[in-house]
Amino acid sequence: MTNSMSNTEFVTNLVESKFKVLSTEVLDKYQVSFEVKKEDVHSLLSLLKTSGWIQLSYLSAVDWPNDNEFELVYIVFNWDKAVHIQIRCRLDRETASMNSILPIFPGCKYYEREAHEFFGIKFPGNPDHEKQLILEEWDDIPPLRKDFDPRAYSDRKFSKMEYKNDFVNKNGEVSKQDARTKRYDDIDKLRTGGKK
Amino acid sequence: MLSTKFSPMSKEEVDRKWWEIGDFFRRNSLWMLMYCTGCCAIELPPAMTSAYDMERLGMGPMATPRQADVLLVTGYLSLKTLRRLIYTYEQMSEPKYIVGFGSCTINGGIYHDSHAVINQLNKYIPVDVFVAGCMPNTEAVMNGFVDLMDLIKNKKANGWKDYHERYEWYLANQKAALGEVRVHDEFHE
Amino acid sequence: MKEMKLFLGPQHPGMHGNASVHIYVDGDIIKKSFLLPGMLHRGFEKGMERHSWVNNISLIPRVCVVEPDTNEMAFAMAVEMLAKLEVPERAHWIRMIILELARLSIHLMAYGGLGSPTGLYTMMYHAHTDRNTILNIFEKITGHRVYHQYIVPGGVRKDLPVGIEKDIHSFLDDLESRYEEYRDLGINNPTIQARINDTIPLPAEVVWELGVTGIGMRSAVNKPYDLRKVKPYARYDQVEFDVPVAPYSDAYARVDCKLQEVVQSIGIIRQCLAKMPEGDVRVPISRGQAMRWTVPKGHVYACVESSRGEFGYFMVSDGGTNPYRVGVRGASYPQGLLGIEKYLPGTRLDDAALWVDTMGVCSPEIDR
Repeated sequence: MTNSMSNTEFVTNLVESKFKVLSTEVLDKYQVSFEVKKEDVHSLLSLLKTSGWIQLSYLSAVDWPNDNEFELVYIVFNWDKAVHIQIRCRLDRETASMNSILPIFPGCKYYEREAHEFFGIKFPGNPDHEKQLILEEWDDIPPLRKDFDPRAYSDRKFSKMEYKNDFVNKNGEVSKQDARTKRYDDIDKLRTGGKK
Repeated sequence: MLSTKFSPMSKEEVDRKWWEIGDFFRRNSLWMLMYCTGCCAIELPPAMTSAYDMERLGMGPMATPRQADVLLVTGYLSLKTLRRLIYTYEQMSEPKYIVGFGSCTINGGIYHDSHAVINQLNKYIPVDVFVAGCMPNTEAVMNGFVDLMDLIKNKKANGWKDYHERYEWYLANQKAALGEVRVHDEFHE
Repeated sequence: MKEMKLFLGPQHPGMHGNASVHIYVDGDIIKKSFLLPGMLHRGFEKGMERHSWVNNISLIPRVCVVEPDTNEMAFAMAVEMLAKLEVPERAHWIRMIILELARLSIHLMAYGGLGSPTGLYTMMYHAHTDRNTILNIFEKITGHRVYHQYIVPGGVRKDLPVGIEKDIHSFLDDLESRYEEYRDLGINNPTIQARINDTIPLPAEVVWELGVTGIGMRSAVNKPYDLRKVKPYARYDQVEFDVPVAPYSDAYARVDCKLQEVVQSIGIIRQCLAKMPEGDVRVPISRGQAMRWTVPKGHVYACVESSRGEFGYFMVSDGGTNPYRVGVRGASYPQGLLGIEKYLPGTRLDDAALWVDTMGVCSPEIDR
């Protein structure tokens, strides 16, 4: 195996010479990440596949509701050069649709189906992508979108255990329930960055 | 001195005697259904094999629901599993018992706010014994089985009767969470 | 003849875990088959977004039930890449011991699990008893039998307890002394050989199409494509081990590779125990303010070699106290979903359970 530092440089040169890359990031000596335009993804993936990145490791999406965009992530791997490449592109959130990469990587079939199920991104070219895979009879917006609140859904649909106080408070003492509520409030404050 | 005079028993009393005899044999040869619904099932192989040896309690695995006595609900239940679990439970022949494993079956446990996992199992099907812990270790699992046997002995493992009596209530809960209880298998077709 | 639809699982003794394979058969021959996943869906990826970085430590081992340590390792590696944490030297070696013990335990479990589709239950009893010994060792080290929460971002939770080396050595010696017995029980047994030789082959050409990794791939392409060798993490570049490969991937070759990996894992653990330096085991992350700990922005993908292949975490941070998005690449995703759909048709009905066992299809990590 050649020096792996040169491998990331090789990848960067290979991609940047042929495509307009919005941002490049060398994360460590085994991983490079590119952000490209939506139109370039297919040709870039084909180029990488012919250059030895024959394994599709992962395909998924990230929701950015503030930018009103979805980010699609493709991760491919070359076992001889030992470099993972992340390819990311942004889609419009309202009309999220991306041509399937099924002709390039047949392994993407179920990843795309899952991305459709959890984010609602359409993949024209993948015949089954609109069928449900993991959820069954889902009746809400796709659950991995940021504006979906699982706790509200759970409270609405699944009845919770009801607890009742079976102890008596003595006068002047802080009840355990109050102390617990206060502790949870403190934790919430810490989470949001406030002072104790 | 005991009287040897024969006194005829009423029909209820005879039935009760036969149930007692039946319960004796039932609790000493419990067949548990091999259905791993969740992650607590990973502690069952050590309980079944030489390390803890469940067979000394007279328990063994059974492949089909119709011949099984105990349904082990091992951990969290997603909606998809709950549909199949109710289906399986209703297939089992009576009397039948349910052991719920882990904190997930009691109050949702670590997944209490998940969109896919129910919170409280005994709203949907009657549970006889809960084994707490996340996950309960093998000793706790064995202890739970012994507890179930004691309950059967004391005639307190009556979940299956409760399911008959309050079927409407259970069905309403099931419908509230699942929408439709019946399993649809037009998945890939 | 008329086609008939059968369900293998979810309630089936030959099925590992709560998943179902829908099979259309013509006589004995499978015509069409699909996996029905999702019965263990718990909404992990959403749940992780809702917990802080430190709270997630207790959530991640539950992604894959049989192999929690690789989850913890991949998660810790991803967070360390984002936060640029330097892990102490001793922690690397302890992590390797834990990971290899976990690999031993899952290989033993898979080897025992071969008993149910082939009908040889003796093997299962031996393998599960040895696995139980490993779980007891884990309990001594971490306090838990199954979900350890031991490998955390920045090192490991605690140092090894005093005298645990003796326990580990005695277990390894015991396992090694009975290794030949294991082979004789299982894959050297002529009955088993007749059953698994040349059963459900995976041709080398289709491996890349599926995206299969791990033993299924190595036994098909005959190359040592193991992440521990190719892109070494922890200190795998400082220990000596071989990666077992085979030129033709059938059920026999895959089980054989698994058993050879057991020997290699024993060797790695011994080297780790010998080479392990003294020192700290954990970098404290923002002492006293762990709930407020934030991680710099970034997109990373960290992966480790699990017993079934490449197990990865894709992680996005927006600089907040919670992860912005965590994606789990389950190692058995390709062979579980696409593999069952494409390469089971044509084989016999009773071989479906063998595929699930020997390729290692772990349903909780497919569903998440």
